[in-house]
Amino acid sequence: MIKFPAQPRLILAALISAAFLSACEQPQSDETKKEEPNTAFESTYKVKSYHPVLIKNATVLTAAGDRIDNGSLLFKDGKIVAVGTNIEIPADESLEVIDAQGKWVTPGLIDVHSHLGVYPAPGVDSAADGNEMTAPVTAEVWAEHSVWPHDPQFELALAGGVTSMQVLPGSANLIGGRTVTLKNVPARSVMEMKFPGAPHGLKMACGENPKRVYGSKGRSPMTRMANIAGFRAAWIKAADYKTQWEDYENREGNGKAPKRDLQMETLAGVLKGEILIHNHCYRADEMALMMEIADEFDFQISTFHHAVESYKIADKLAQNNVCSALWSDWWGFKQEAFDMVPENVALVEKAGACAIVHSDSPTGIQHLNKDAAKSMASGNAMGMNITPEKAIEWITINPAKSMGIGDQTGTLEAGKMADIVLWDGNPFSVYTKAEKVFIDGALMYDRLDEKYQPVSDFQLGQYDFEVKAQEGGAQ
Amino acid sequence: MSLLKAKTLIKPIVAALSVISLMASVSSAETTLIKGAKIHTMSPQGVLESGDVLIEDGVIKSVADDLSIQADNIIDGKGKVLTPGIFALINQIGLVELGSLDQTADMATDNEEQGASFRVDQVFNHNSTLIPVNRSNGVTRTLIAPSLGYYIFAGRGAVMSLDGDYNALIAKDVAIFAAFGERAADMSGGSRASTLYQLNQALDEARIYKNNRSAIELGEFRELHYSIEDLRALQAVIDKRVPLIISANRESDLLTLLDFAKQQNIKIAFAGAAEAWRVAKQIAKADAAVFVDPMDNLPSSFESLGKRYDNAAILSKAGVKVMFLGQGFLDSHNAYTVRHSAGNAVAYGMDYNKALAAMITTPAEYFGGDDAYGKIAEGFKAELVLWSGDPLEVTTLAEQVWIDGKATSMENRSTKLRERYKALDTDKNTGYRK
Repeated sequence: MIKFPAQPRLILAALISAAFLSACEQPQSDETKKEEPNTAFESTYKVKSYHPVLIKNATVLTAAGDRIDNGSLLFKDGKIVAVGTNIEIPADESLEVIDAQGKWVTPGLIDVHSHLGVYPAPGVDSAADGNEMTAPVTAEVWAEHSVWPHDPQFELALAGGVTSMQVLPGSANLIGGRTVTLKNVPARSVMEMKFPGAPHGLKMACGENPKRVYGSKGRSPMTRMANIAGFRAAWIKAADYKTQWEDYENREGNGKAPKRDLQMETLAGVLKGEILIHNHCYRADEMALMMEIADEFDFQISTFHHAVESYKIADKLAQNNVCSALWSDWWGFKQEAFDMVPENVALVEKAGACAIVHSDSPTGIQHLNKDAAKSMASGNAMGMNITPEKAIEWITINPAKSMGIGDQTGTLEAGKMADIVLWDGNPFSVYTKAEKVFIDGALMYDRLDEKYQPVSDFQLGQYDFEVKAQEGGAQ
Repeated sequence: MSLLKAKTLIKPIVAALSVISLMASVSSAETTLIKGAKIHTMSPQGVLESGDVLIEDGVIKSVADDLSIQADNIIDGKGKVLTPGIFALINQIGLVELGSLDQTADMATDNEEQGASFRVDQVFNHNSTLIPVNRSNGVTRTLIAPSLGYYIFAGRGAVMSLDGDYNALIAKDVAIFAAFGERAADMSGGSRASTLYQLNQALDEARIYKNNRSAIELGEFRELHYSIEDLRALQAVIDKRVPLIISANRESDLLTLLDFAKQQNIKIAFAGAAEAWRVAKQIAKADAAVFVDPMDNLPSSFESLGKRYDNAAILSKAGVKVMFLGQGFLDSHNAYTVRHSAGNAVAYGMDYNKALAAMITTPAEYFGGDDAYGKIAEGFKAELVLWSGDPLEVTTLAEQVWIDGKATSMENRSTKLRERYKALDTDKNTGYRK
């Protein structure tokens, strides 16, 4: 077995995310550009200008460990300025003060698993662009090239308090392609939504889907063992490709450059630690195998998605620093989703591993807070003491870390992006709704003000809903 | 308990539905007293903020603020909430084990003779893992329904108990299911107009069958498009004994179908009904019931662009009988989450009591009124759930479920797996933990 020398992967990952930060803050020189083959499709997201805002008298969950009763939150120019009970209020005429008595404030919610834009509504073949089911390895495709910014489901997610999300390719393939992290803002192109500085992810899938999709066509993989062989073959090629480029770079421009290969660029990006692995994997035994592959080829798996059986190996997930992205209680739609326990999230948390509540659903993404609430309640019924200030991490900072954007967003801390939700009550209640949603300090959604309720190009002018509502039913 | 359950009398039945009442055999007059719970009686007695319920022989004996009596079992309900069990609607519990495995699924057929007549209650699997999972989460009965198979009539629905017994049937043939709209058009020739033609043709032939039964049975009649079994099944629809529940979404489709129902003089109901809120008054006037999923607001098809969360609230305010469907493809395995859907309906404007009724009392009345389920009142079945709090709330859990007065097991595969794996650090040899 070929073993690359073990690397301190955690430190490496931290350095990489720091490098991303500086890369987006400083203009790149021509020299560095030459070494970066992919400068196309970069983020053109712009922070919207907005006046400074102070939210006061709120119950604030910072997602950095604290619950602050009667708390205040000040943000300005896209960034959080201060959080606490006794913060200095600037003398600024443009400051808007929101009295949030009885209301709660959390970071903007983050969904680590979404297909908005790539499987838009309406769900018709002409717009279903999420799954390139033509070969088991399609590392060359990027989800962002399928994202339709006018998917009306984006604004529904916004009304549910979601400020950022990762959009992934589907799970038919062993290696499905690059994911993209988006700010949930109306836009004309995907570039205008791309989260500045967010690393790409790579979607991989274990288990039933690849073997069913390709096995039914008489192709490999037809079995789980061929799934594993397919992964390993791809990583062997990728390691070789990476070495070719490193050799070329070590020759400082002398000699012929290797031929670019889109598949291999993505996979080599993983081996270099620049692209994060997001691995659809339900069963514990398969997750264990995937961690062996990661060990063999010396990469880090960021997150197992839909990991219905994480609770069985929560200790190993903690050891390997792999996150689990979970539903509270979905089960039974296929065999690998048979062993659901509603305490899954709580048991992963209990083991000290990184727990995330995700949606994989245009409905679920509107209710991440309630799914987290269910997981919290199940954990507490088992005797744990999971507080709202802990559970909020499952839908904010933990997915942010999993996606490599934890330094920029996901908590309410000074200096971070002002991605904020003002809830009309305790967000862990079925009756609570997001009232106002701010992205980078700008009000992007207001339940009480139609001006701040975006409507997609697609839905504009389709029906005059409100007028009919009055005529049709409500007395 | 043995498979042979004591079958009690066949109760008087409404609208000639064949209703079989099943009650657990209880060896002696066992009594259970639930004390001090907040009780949603779902009856004119309203909500008791702190009340007592006495159960005897599987039946509710009395309900009052304070019953100072002794009982075999006394349950402390303080701080908890008592409701009748949830009546889950239009799902495939007992008909499917794992969604992606066809060999575990019996909800649809490609047999072209079986449309309206297709019934699935006889193949209900009482040992399905879906039953304990849903029951321990507060679901005590369900309306199972076939899925679309060969043509636009899916078949007949039945009400089943989740008590885990083979004799689970509560009421058979309570509705016939059909479809209209995009998918049905595809199945019926490519146009909604063909679907409408087929719906009319089926009911017309059912009437022809009614008037020429013997000639048709003897083969002395012209050939008909529908099988004799299907035409027999449709008698219940043309005689207005059971509703024809049609899944339909677009405003124009709903209006077209109201028209169709009026012309055919049948009892119609809508499932899905994305744009029903736009024609709530017309639906109310026609006295058509509507089955909605209050968690679904996605414009997921061109026929449901007007879908919204306050559909249930608007319909309910307009006087329409509203009942709740489960959540999308999770409507069977996770049927119990309908209570969270009900909570969402309340969050978007529906009256709380109506939302609670939409998954308990409203379907109880709609599908066979004298079954003595759906209210916490004297003489009603002790089919009850004690909740840790507000049953519509996401942080609430079911603590005890009774069916026919019997405390049912709160264990299921999930609780077993949890117990097996909750303490990984002490002993990893998990295979021996049972």
